[in-house]
Amino acid sequence: MSIVYWLTSSGLEKNMNRFLLLLFLLAIASCSPGNSSGDSVKYQQYFVQGEQLYNTHCSNCHQKSGKGLGLLYPPLDESDYMTNNLSSVICLIKYGKSGELIVNGKQYNQVMPGVPILTDLEIAEIATYIYNSWTHDEGLIEVAEVTKVLQQCEGED
Amino acid sequence: MSRLILLVIVVGLISGCEKKVKPLPIFGQREVVNGDTVYHHIAKYQFVDQDSAIITNDTFKDQIYVADFFFTSCRTICPIMKTQMLRVYESTAELPDVKLLSHTIDPEYDTVALLHDFARKLGVSSDRWHFVTGAKDSIYKIAQTSYFATAMEDKSEPDGFIHSGAFLLIDKQQRLRGKYDGTKEEDVNRLLVDIKRLRKEYE
Ligand code: HEC
Repeated sequence: MSIVYWLTSSGLEKNMNRFLLLLFLLAIASCSPGNSSGDSVKYQQYFVQGEQLYNTHCSNCHQKSGKGLGLLYPPLDESDYMTNNLSSVICLIKYGKSGELIVNGKQYNQVMPGVPILTDLEIAEIATYIYNSWTHDEGLIEVAEVTKVLQQCEGED
Repeated sequence: MSRLILLVIVVGLISGCEKKVKPLPIFGQREVVNGDTVYHHIAKYQFVDQDSAIITNDTFKDQIYVADFFFTSCRTICPIMKTQMLRVYESTAELPDVKLLSHTIDPEYDTVALLHDFARKLGVSSDRWHFVTGAKDSIYKIAQTSYFATAMEDKSEPDGFIHSGAFLLIDKQQRLRGKYDGTKEEDVNRLLVDIKRLRKEYE
């Protein structure tokens, strides 16, 4: 009630300021984890770890910005390939990828070396990071899922 | 009071003018021959670029150029170097006297065809950015003795080579005028400023 009163009580400019303040408060409220359940803590941990691993193993080629480089290294920031091929992406992180590959309608054909020393947990962390950065918003990617996918990678490539 | 202000302004202006831009250093040994100073300069070379064109010192006559050493299959620092070199390429697009020269240090693998493909995928034009290959020994030798850059084979390294990520700035007299870490954005910013400074010397 008092908000309605606020917004209608005084001059336009003042109202505008209050409105902005209100928006700001709403934004803050929506940023903090909505529920304090284990999931969002886990998500945070995965994301933070994933970012570090990404900077160690991936950003050389794909860049910190995820923009890639020309037609040599495909972009991750916006990638229909990523959106449509979660399983293949999990596999290529570990085992690498070569041959033709189409991202956003452009053809790439270079070798991406895999990082076989990564554990399933680390791959889940990297996947969580890249799938929730830039334009992506897929939420947590669980280790169990990664483990399951990795068992079926053989023969892909 | 107003005189005092005037004085301050004048003094300020004078001291401001005195802070002249220092010229870039000239790297390497120098000798005095018949009273003239002879500076270290890039030795004679002949390589082949991505269009099968012969590239020699004459290609860069009256040109400033930036050189580096890399190879296409390198997964460690080269992608970062190429990202940074692309920035140099883009930000010197309007400068007709600035060129780029990337030498492969893996000439057995990096054939002309492969370099051609690499340049195409990077989206750059061969009249401003030459990717060259040649005899391995000549490339290693010129890296070490002319450009003071590290480049050698080492099977124990993850990529099979030891090489520095250096970008080298060469002036129109083929002298080495600057050395930058091509894997660091800030250092490449310094290079971009130095290219402008170097061009001023020829105005
Ligand atoms: C040496 C350079 C290099 C490194 C390091 C690298 N990639 Fe790649 N990546 C590539 C190349 C090249 C391709 C395209 C492969 C092809 O053409 O078959 C690719 C493809 C991809 C793709 C699918 C295409 C797309 O853009 O959606 C994803 C996802 C990806 N990489 C993620 C990663 C992740 C995550 C890491 C770190 C674990 C990583 N890459 C490390 C070079 C690299």
